[in-house]
Amino acid sequence: MSRLATIWAIFQGLLLEALPFLLIGVLIAGLARWIAPGGRWLQRLPSQPLLAPLTGAALGFALPACECGNVPVARRLLAGGAPLGSALGFLFAAPVLNPIVLASTWAAFPDQPWLLAARPLAALVLALALSALLQQWPESQLLEPALLEERRLSQPLAEVGLLERRSGLVGASPAAAPPPQERPSLATVLEHSSREFLDLAGLLVLGSALAAVVQTLLPRTWLLAVGGAPTISVLSLMLMAVVVSVCSSVDAFLALGFAAQITPGALLAFLVLGPVVDLKLLGLFGVVLKPRAIALTAAGACVVVLLIGQWVNLWLL
Amino acid sequence: MGEPVAALIRPLALALWGAVLLVSTLTGRLELLLRGVFHPLVGLSGVVLLAIALQQALQGRRERRWNRSWALSGLLAIAVLLLPPNPSFSDLASNRNSDLGSEVELDFLLPPGQRSLTDWVRLLRSQPDPQLYNGDPVRISGFVLTQPEGPPQLGRLLVRCCLADATPIGLPVRWPAGFQPQTDQWLAIEGTMGLERIAGQERSVVLPDRIRPIARPARPLEP
Repeated sequence: MSRLATIWAIFQGLLLEALPFLLIGVLIAGLARWIAPGGRWLQRLPSQPLLAPLTGAALGFALPACECGNVPVARRLLAGGAPLGSALGFLFAAPVLNPIVLASTWAAFPDQPWLLAARPLAALVLALALSALLQQWPESQLLEPALLEERRLSQPLAEVGLLERRSGLVGASPAAAPPPQERPSLATVLEHSSREFLDLAGLLVLGSALAAVVQTLLPRTWLLAVGGAPTISVLSLMLMAVVVSVCSSVDAFLALGFAAQITPGALLAFLVLGPVVDLKLLGLFGVVLKPRAIALTAAGACVVVLLIGQWVNLWLL
Repeated sequence: MGEPVAALIRPLALALWGAVLLVSTLTGRLELLLRGVFHPLVGLSGVVLLAIALQQALQGRRERRWNRSWALSGLLAIAVLLLPPNPSFSDLASNRNSDLGSEVELDFLLPPGQRSLTDWVRLLRSQPDPQLYNGDPVRISGFVLTQPEGPPQLGRLLVRCCLADATPIGLPVRWPAGFQPQTDQWLAIEGTMGLERIAGQERSVVLPDRIRPIARPARPLEP
């Protein structure tokens, strides 16, 4: 019975910490919809393999949200017709490359300046790698079907066939730009944002419940028992990041609790993997990516973070 | 009854989640869950959600059909409102390593009688010479923390961000004969610091003169 009470409390802790950030993300996405209704500027973002994810990652500095708040914004970027690389770069790098997360990392580890440089750098490398990996597949195999349909309406006719778009006029000139969209009323934007918030909150509830159950039943001491071994410590802290599922805006404070017991590579792996892959995010990613793309992201992220952690241990130990 | 609720399900679910955030902030439930620096953000988000819910209800654009996931999430919000968090502190502690990290340097030292349990643990870690504290008066409170080996200690949980990172700390207590400390029970202890020898090593132990059961404090987690 006491186990259940503990699970219930951890569930509430994770959920109440994440909901405000989810709300911030949804409101930012709504604001973007209101300010730039057609999202033309989104379509003008670079689409080159390297520049696109870098631009997406840089957008993180303008949007102070953790990974929960990032998902609705990334969805908005994709729905508005932003190049896939830019949106993926944003989705994977912005949870770390933003002012709040960098400030909290610095506040938690003021005596470890290498970490302040290594965390954003590693997050950028991870975002570039994941973006390159996912772009090996066509968009239709990666993106969630409803999002794909919305996205095709925003893309120029030259890029999308009428059959794919499922609307439009047969015989219209492919070069003709769609008429500029009118600015939606604030009430319409709020209605859309409130739907999005409730949809995502439902998924967040599922993720938080899963994370609370797993971390109550899995003894934390097992994960930290291998703190000193270079490879195993990286792997165990990666598993811990996935299970614990706290937002990137606070994970540095959590890491402070066990930083002294583990290798530097494992510490970095925890701080870089958590914002991209964790149990709480599994459901949220479902509104952007298909299950197969989520699995690819998780597998790719684990390999890249393991390599980064190993390399840091070779360099610092 | 069903139709009007279905039509208003969106503002209703939003209002319920807004109420969860606001009630948790105002009633001090967050003290059990999150570090203080995040409390204003949670409360403010609750107000924003309630305002959006009100605006959406007044706008009068009704939902045409039931949305089951919103209804379920609304029910869960009611459950969160009705069932406040009440974790077992020993359960949380048993799952985690007791480690203070590098945070053992003390900026200043309070007189012995004013030191909290956390102050004592930090002091004993930074200057681990039990002879220094022998005979010092002790007035501390904490919960009964079961140990894998040996008698239970008096413990506290330290939290840096949220309940997920609660770290247990404990002080050994020489419990009086016949006193059975109950796991998770909160106790206030007055007494002195003494010495005991465990596996050939001397360590500090609390020798209680007076043990008093107390209610869980309003702010049970220490930073």
